[in-house]
Amino acid sequence: MDKQDIIKSFKDSLFTGLIALALFGPIVGLRTASKGEGLFITPQWGIVFLLVGLCIFGRFLININSFRRTEFKFISVFNSKLSSITEDKAKHFAITGILFAVVFPFLPFTDRYFMDVAIMILTYIMLGWGLNIVVGLAGLLDLGYVAFYAVGAYSYALIATTFGWSFWICLPLAGIFAAFFGILLGFPVLRLRGDYLAIVTLGFGEIIRIILINWYEVTNGPDGITGIPRPSFFGLPFKRSPDEGEFSFHTFFGLEYSTMHRIIFLYYLILVLALITNYFTLKIRKLPVGRAWEALREDEIACKSLGVNPTNTKLTAFAIGAMFGGFAGSFFATRQAFISPESFTFIESAIIVAIVVLGGMGSQTGVVLASIFLIGITEIFRDLEQYRMIAFGGAMVLIMVFKPKGILANRKPTILMHGDKK
Amino acid sequence: MSELLSVENLTMKFGGLTAIDDLSFHAKNNQITSIIGPNGAGKTTVFNCLTGFYKPTTGQMYLHQLDHKVSLRKYTDFKIAHVAKVARTFQNIRLFPAMSVLENLLVAQHNQLMIASGYSLYGLLNLKSYKEKEQKAVDKSKYWLDIIGLTHRADDNAGDLPYGDQRKLEIVRAMCIEPKLLCLDEPAAGLNPKESADLNKLLKFIKNEKKTGILLIEHDMSVVMGISDHVVVLNYGKKIFEGTADQTKKSKEVIEAYLGVDE
Repeated sequence: MDKQDIIKSFKDSLFTGLIALALFGPIVGLRTASKGEGLFITPQWGIVFLLVGLCIFGRFLININSFRRTEFKFISVFNSKLSSITEDKAKHFAITGILFAVVFPFLPFTDRYFMDVAIMILTYIMLGWGLNIVVGLAGLLDLGYVAFYAVGAYSYALIATTFGWSFWICLPLAGIFAAFFGILLGFPVLRLRGDYLAIVTLGFGEIIRIILINWYEVTNGPDGITGIPRPSFFGLPFKRSPDEGEFSFHTFFGLEYSTMHRIIFLYYLILVLALITNYFTLKIRKLPVGRAWEALREDEIACKSLGVNPTNTKLTAFAIGAMFGGFAGSFFATRQAFISPESFTFIESAIIVAIVVLGGMGSQTGVVLASIFLIGITEIFRDLEQYRMIAFGGAMVLIMVFKPKGILANRKPTILMHGDKK
Repeated sequence: MSELLSVENLTMKFGGLTAIDDLSFHAKNNQITSIIGPNGAGKTTVFNCLTGFYKPTTGQMYLHQLDHKVSLRKYTDFKIAHVAKVARTFQNIRLFPAMSVLENLLVAQHNQLMIASGYSLYGLLNLKSYKEKEQKAVDKSKYWLDIIGLTHRADDNAGDLPYGDQRKLEIVRAMCIEPKLLCLDEPAAGLNPKESADLNKLLKFIKNEKKTGILLIEHDMSVVMGISDHVVVLNYGKKIFEGTADQTKKSKEVIEAYLGVDE
């Protein structure tokens, strides 16, 4: 690194500062406050200068890093650690992860709050794995994935409250409904690719949400659906005082009543659902249809020239991805016991896409790491309240700066001719 | 030698531009038919019509089977490769770069494997019948990789192969769908003389051993003149000459329009 580079990067950082000033100046700097009659503007230049300074400093660091002939040592160590995970220890890592997830509820420090966060992270992992089929494997950028999550949640809620069927019947039905909507969306967007597909799927997500708000007779509009039945432990409800002549979970097993039983059960439920999603994805990736998805992502025209039917291939990707979104939605509905359109806004889609992209497109382990990282960070900074989204954005920027292709970006072939030598 | 492909009065117009003008020619089984001509003569457009990427404005294209002929106009898109068994390669290589060499060849056998996997059901259930079929597909891939000498790189990404190997891989990938007619769009572009010679050998092998008709677009005259049984010369969308390689070399029109005179 010579003097020229430092001057160049310094200039570039100043320019970044200028952009930051233009953005933060009006947004953060000018605050309206109501005093007596009317609104008054109170400037907050201190914060603005702090933020602009941070941007200049951060940009300078990034520049210095990219101008250096060699990377900073901690980054290269970090990178080599990550790649060693994917190559040698992927299996050990996965098994350790699953074992940890299984014993997690019984660890001494685990309390209700940790369990709730863990359930949330697992839900996002499952959604990430579901979307990974569409975005990571088939390469179809779907910005409206939350629509299938919503369809799953609402079909579960409506079927369960109307017919009173049990969770285990409603769950597959909700999945089928979501898959049906996946095909419904799939048909019109078959010809679209890239940005255009993203816009249309984004619109689809909004259409579903707006239908949920306005179709008052069925969905109960913005009031949402209440009293969704909780899942039972194979017929045993988690109630403090079961009805006459019936058992509940704690009386049947002779345990002290605790609300944690239900939480732990929900935790294992989502863990199993997520693992099923993962198993299914890993399996189908190695089948012809999985290979066709990836081939379609790589080159659609070449696929056609080889006789692969792109229509069917895309539709199966949409349908299967949507089905897992629907399963996750059912789980969400039964866990919350209350759903409303507010839970299915665009930001949810964006978070799920972010998890898949930051995890490394198509990488199952990457989705896990990205979910823990992104959701975990927003939870750690919960005390900052509305500003915690800054932490979320910061986490995304960090990943994109240091691992532009996602946390785990290497792909393993689905079939090997010479066996696993490495 | 029996007829394989007959193109009759093919015309393709893009708005006011006539890319192919009333073109008729024939290609025979077990022969290499080359289409040559200056840039913009409409060679690739002919391929795109044959392989279903364009629908010709007028004209007919027939593929002759044992006892009947199939109109290629009826098939569009992926069905050309799937049903009519016409395979093609592209001027700018279109492999699946992030997938392994073996996976590239397996995607070409997608339709058989899809049926073998019971549309994924048997495959999900880990049934033995699927495993066997999959192994067969791998064996077939290995057969072709042995021929082009890339077996040792079967598990590497296709995009990491040297350019010449990518060209050969694209050709054998097309062969994996067991086509009746193989259309090659400038397979020798960017190859060095040794690689061109290898390519000639591969194409002769496909013609002689696999009994597949080959339709070839090429600018490299060492390839065209070395292996073609039949040459069709296009200029501005019209056929200006048709004949054997030797006849073509001597034809006055062809020298004027395309080959040029040695100074």
